[in-house]
Amino acid sequence: MEKILEKKRIDDWIAALSQWEVHAPALEDGIWTYQPVKGAARLDHPNTRQSPKGLAFPQREIFFTFEQIKGEPPKLTQVLPQETRHAVFGVRPCDGRGVPRMDKVFTDHVDDTYYNTRRKNVAYVGLACNKPPSATCFCLSVGGSPVSTEGLDVQLTDLGDRYFVKAITEVGKELMTTAGSLLTDPGADDQKDVKQVHAAAVAYPQRKINDPDGAPEKLKANFNSPLWEEMARSCIGCGICTFLCPTCHCFDINDEVQSKAPLKGQRVRTWDNCQFPDFTMHSSGHNPRENTGARLRQRVNHKFQYFHENFGMHQCTGCGRCVSECPVGIDIVAVVNKVTENVG
Amino acid sequence: MSDNIYLPKLGRVAFIKDEVVGERAIKTFRVEAADGGDLFEHECGQCAMLSIFGRGESMISIASSPLIKEYKQFSIMKVGRVSSAFHELEVGDVIGIRGPYGNNFPIDDWRGKNLYFIGGGCGLAPIWPLITTAVAQRADFKDITVFYGGRTSRDIMYRAELEKLRESIDVHLSIDKAEEGWEGYCGFVPAAVMDKDPVPANSIAITCGPPIMIKFVIQNLNKLGFADEQIYTTIENKMKCGLGKCGRCNVGKDYVCVKGPVYSWAVLKNLPEEY
Repeated sequence: MEKILEKKRIDDWIAALSQWEVHAPALEDGIWTYQPVKGAARLDHPNTRQSPKGLAFPQREIFFTFEQIKGEPPKLTQVLPQETRHAVFGVRPCDGRGVPRMDKVFTDHVDDTYYNTRRKNVAYVGLACNKPPSATCFCLSVGGSPVSTEGLDVQLTDLGDRYFVKAITEVGKELMTTAGSLLTDPGADDQKDVKQVHAAAVAYPQRKINDPDGAPEKLKANFNSPLWEEMARSCIGCGICTFLCPTCHCFDINDEVQSKAPLKGQRVRTWDNCQFPDFTMHSSGHNPRENTGARLRQRVNHKFQYFHENFGMHQCTGCGRCVSECPVGIDIVAVVNKVTENVG
Repeated sequence: MSDNIYLPKLGRVAFIKDEVVGERAIKTFRVEAADGGDLFEHECGQCAMLSIFGRGESMISIASSPLIKEYKQFSIMKVGRVSSAFHELEVGDVIGIRGPYGNNFPIDDWRGKNLYFIGGGCGLAPIWPLITTAVAQRADFKDITVFYGGRTSRDIMYRAELEKLRESIDVHLSIDKAEEGWEGYCGFVPAAVMDKDPVPANSIAITCGPPIMIKFVIQNLNKLGFADEQIYTTIENKMKCGLGKCGRCNVGKDYVCVKGPVYSWAVLKNLPEEY
């Protein structure tokens, strides 16, 4: 299904989506974040500070509550996610490609009840990048593109005064059908324009990983390279790289206690981070990844070797957030290039 | 039954025993289903995620044979937040338990072979299900030998059970330094193994203990002529989910909670040393 939407009518479409909670980028204090739409939505964002991955995998969620009166068995109460349908507008292609990668993690081996319940209720309305929105973009190096539709339900392309609207999935068709007569059939000019915009977007220069296909083997061969330690020397272990990543999925599970007698509390899942020393530290004090070099290697190898070996694709989607936001300038593109060039 | 993988079942602590007291205290717990049913079936080598509500979860090896259906046994050294909370438990207390997790020792492939078990410290617990299962099915195996060492005689766990095993298999106990009244070997476990010259032909060696012990045991087994495929061990890493999702226990591309904890040395020696 392909349609045309006049730009000024996007709020009417969003208003028609009464069965969905709609999210769109909003600018607050100089930072773009996805927010529930109140009133008008704007899609003139470069990319958001965080990807929309939190809609399916929130930073913090309660698994269950526990309650125990002394001498009696504890009572557990599951806290399952609400079955609210969400539609998120303005998803950039890199973040769209993050979605199926997160799906691999949470649906491989056994299903994750919490992730799956949220995930099946989220629809992703993407916005193609007419040109890379950031100087740190490198989606073309990792199998993506500024006009990729992978992981999206609908793709919007900005044609100046109007959007070219393309359904990618059945859910996408449902969203478009809800728009009714707001969406009109594209003419030959629209088809020509969208092709031109897409071709120009793909041709736009980006930063480059030199040998993405060879990376899994070359990283494996360089596991013991002294380069890791060298490149990670400036790392302060803040973890911003993974917290902003559209595909980082590591998490922690902890008990939070509200009252000790009677015992009342909750078991909570929160995002966690492979750049923290205690992420892997055994209770004996032994730590399999005891320095920043080993932890940088884990982050890079996970994205470009381990995930590839397990699922046949790079886990990185080239959004560039970890590059632009790192306080000490550690650059995953440069790291991968340097390590992979280390093999003759 | 819930299909929520993070929701534990409730287990009642039916039995607690002090294995080792003092600095490296180990207690043994037997846990039954709190509702009187069965917790779950498991295989030798698998683990379970135990929790004390309000304190948190820890991955612990199941230390009882799969042949025992009434309870699951766990022997826990007091080291961290959750294990310390376990040491405060009393009989009748209710805990959380989910599992079983991980792969298992391929015991069925080993029938008709000699088995050498080599354990150190609390590393006896993960291989205990295998030892007791093999002894229960004694006729299926040829010679069975257990080497087990503790730092001191007070660090020897399952002491009474080991003495009883002497009725059907060879048991060699050792301690690091000589003590008055100790009749077993004095010295480190890898040397205790060499002292008895295990025969590699038609044999499997299974070792678990502190990493440094495992390293030298394997070196010595190789010297004795054991091929890497004949040597098995079990490793541990910090875990939170047990299901290959939380992202921390990986060694290379594989999560120990799913593809481990049991590895043949032939496989493990080719993996990055991140354990």
